Amino acid sequence: MSVTEWTRVANAAFDVALFSLIGAMVAGFAYLAFRHGALSALSRAAGMLGAAACLVAIVGRGLAAGRTPWGNMYEYSLVMGFLVVVGHLVLVEGRAKVRTVAGFSYAFAVLTLAMATLFFDVGPAPLVPALNSYWRQIHVTAMITASSLLGLGCVITMLYLVKERWEARELARLHAQDPPPIMGGSTADEPAAADPSTLPRRGGLPAAATLDRLAYRFIAFGFPVWTFGVICGAIWAQDAWGRYWGWDPKETWSFITWVIFAGYLHARATSGWRGARAAAIALVGFVSLLVTYYAVNLWIAGLHSYST
Amino acid sequence: MTSPRPTYRQSVALVWRTLRSMRTALILLLMLALASVAGSLIPQLPNSPGAVRQFLADHALLGRFYLRAGLFDVFGSWWFVLITTLLFVSLVACLVPRTRGSIRAIRQRPVQARELDAFPSFRELAVGPPPEAAAEAARRVLRRRGFRVAREGTSVAADKGLLREVGSLAFHWAFILLLAGVIVGKGTGYAGLAVLYEGETWIDAQANYDGQVRTGRFFGGDFSGLRLTLVDYADTFRTTGQPMDFRSTVEVADLQGRPLGTEVIRVNHPYRRGDLRVFQFGFGWAATAEVARGGEVIAGSDPIELDQDPAPEGVSQLAMPWRGTIKLPGFEPQMAVDLQLWPDGRALLALIDDPSAPPSAMLQEFQPIARYRVWQGPLSDLSTHTLDTRFLESVPGASGLIGGGESHDLLEGATGVPASWPADLTIRFADLREYSVLQVTRDRGVPVVLLAAILILVGLLPALYSSRRKLWVHAAPGERGTTLKVGGFALQRRERFDEEFERVVADLVRACGSRDAEPVRSR
Repeated sequence: MSVTEWTRVANAAFDVALFSLIGAMVAGFAYLAFRHGALSALSRAAGMLGAAACLVAIVGRGLAAGRTPWGNMYEYSLVMGFLVVVGHLVLVEGRAKVRTVAGFSYAFAVLTLAMATLFFDVGPAPLVPALNSYWRQIHVTAMITASSLLGLGCVITMLYLVKERWEARELARLHAQDPPPIMGGSTADEPAAADPSTLPRRGGLPAAATLDRLAYRFIAFGFPVWTFGVICGAIWAQDAWGRYWGWDPKETWSFITWVIFAGYLHARATSGWRGARAAAIALVGFVSLLVTYYAVNLWIAGLHSYST
Repeated sequence: MTSPRPTYRQSVALVWRTLRSMRTALILLLMLALASVAGSLIPQLPNSPGAVRQFLADHALLGRFYLRAGLFDVFGSWWFVLITTLLFVSLVACLVPRTRGSIRAIRQRPVQARELDAFPSFRELAVGPPPEAAAEAARRVLRRRGFRVAREGTSVAADKGLLREVGSLAFHWAFILLLAGVIVGKGTGYAGLAVLYEGETWIDAQANYDGQVRTGRFFGGDFSGLRLTLVDYADTFRTTGQPMDFRSTVEVADLQGRPLGTEVIRVNHPYRRGDLRVFQFGFGWAATAEVARGGEVIAGSDPIELDQDPAPEGVSQLAMPWRGTIKLPGFEPQMAVDLQLWPDGRALLALIDDPSAPPSAMLQEFQPIARYRVWQGPLSDLSTHTLDTRFLESVPGASGLIGGGESHDLLEGATGVPASWPADLTIRFADLREYSVLQVTRDRGVPVVLLAAILILVGLLPALYSSRRKLWVHAAPGERGTTLKVGGFALQRRERFDEEFERVVADLVRACGSRDAEPVRSR
């Protein structure tokens, strides 16, 4: 097939991916609201279709451009959307067996793809010489993978904060109630209901502790990958620009993001910073991640401005 | 009641304790992040001096404040250095006792415990073999599972996951190594730009650099003296004008002039010799425009390296002509000839046709054409790159277009030519070739920094994924054979430890070889 045909295939697959993921997102939210098993299965099926379509779009794009398809923001966003979906399907639903956060994961993927098509839509094109290195594959793959993992971790962190707030309020409400008389009315013990695991479910989000652990796992997975990506970037920069570090805006922001997530990991090991405080740091990290990913390319000029 | 004034020792201890606390480290980390944010949003002198000048012109007051506060060079400012230093001091303060503790823990054999049923994981089994043999079997089981084991009679203590702390320490110490690599590398190194036109030989020495050489604080002036001769510079572009490749073919010779071979330097493929690296950085056109008087060349016999002005808004950089100046300070009044070059003459025609249209691939040499203009008046400097026209006047009519190899009467048809100037001046566009800009860098810290980066990564993995866990087994004569008590806990990843504990118990049952071994009591 020719370049234009592959481009057409890639674009069609992109549209399929976007709409299946929107479907998956809607079904995911519906499952959260109504807890009907079929909705979860539908969401999962649409998610898998979306992931497959993303893959077709990525491959088509690569064949059209005649190179690995991560050379500009459109392509990064496409790969990132794909990895977010795969990460959700494999790690959240597969490994952790958490099915109620699907809507949020897919929403993240949908937003990523929507950003790609709204702001970064460029045709497949060759690269400038500085990008022509095998380090591009390694560095960019690591950065996108890390961004997807950290992004998913942060989405789950947001849910954790919501759930944690709700649990705290619910506990306070239960504590305020008169304890029910138990076998003669002994009230010496704590009321049995004042334990998060026995609280009535609200919309079916998993317990805050589960969400917290899940978010931590994503970030603890994404952080070394990010570190690896930054190191690869430095090795590449040493060859391409003659220095391993030069405080270029993209470098600076990847460092800022790294520092914030390092802070998050340390905070979790520090008494008094665990829980909501560490989660708040993760959210700051999420903002920094988005700035690193989007804002630096859109608004701050530097050596990484390759897609405007 | 007032508290007694703290003694000097107490104050030092307090400062030390504060520095050691994780809270301080966290706050310093976040401050570092915040400072970096400022560094990315405000234009930085080392990265974009032009943007800083623009900022100072646009926002005079704010710009002055930024300048004072060092915000135009955040990463070189005293307060950034202060935050980094404090962070590193805090790091060392935290690492020293932790390292000592870790060494102690590694040296020490696992310590026996007395009451096992108080641990989060606990199981009691009845097994066949006598206590001594059962304990030995337990030792072997735990050993096989990678635990460090100590047996004292019928008691076994085991632990695993010391790698977590070792990895974490390696990760953190690696930053000290990283800092050392950066300081040594940047401190003893230098970096600068070498500009060579085709055929030119350039020697690595302070005076030969184009513009400023960045030298480290501890740099002893020992430039390498390497000789580079640019044999050929070639670039290829796509039809859209997008660059594909830049390559300089360079003959290298050492200080004594002994040839070291021919090297091709391309983007992403620098030339390396020892600590010295030479990178492809830029390129441009070098024109030879000879000014002659009565057939004798009096100026411009060497190629001059032409520059491009930054393109104004809406104009492609590719459309900009290449500029340079020939200066004749010997005349009274002094003379300057300003040159504008289009390596592809068709680009100029297209530009005249439609000034806003970007040229397509008119970047290679094809019927090159130059526009010249003669100026008179006092010259501010003798640079071929700049022309300060504040004190100059252009000579009316003394201008024209000149093609490659052509020769013109410089002042033909001009009016108002100073009477003191000779009349028989000619200009000849003798030669056009390309020049290459090479970045020469010496950084001895690179291998150290790379090693530190690898250590950071290698240390990070066990620091995040390994977990510290301890197990004990007690064997004692019971009602039915031997009673085996197993207890333990994990400091991290507790769910995973629960599974591991079950497997250890299953292994123990199997190892004790009695089919009737069964859990007696579990919690």
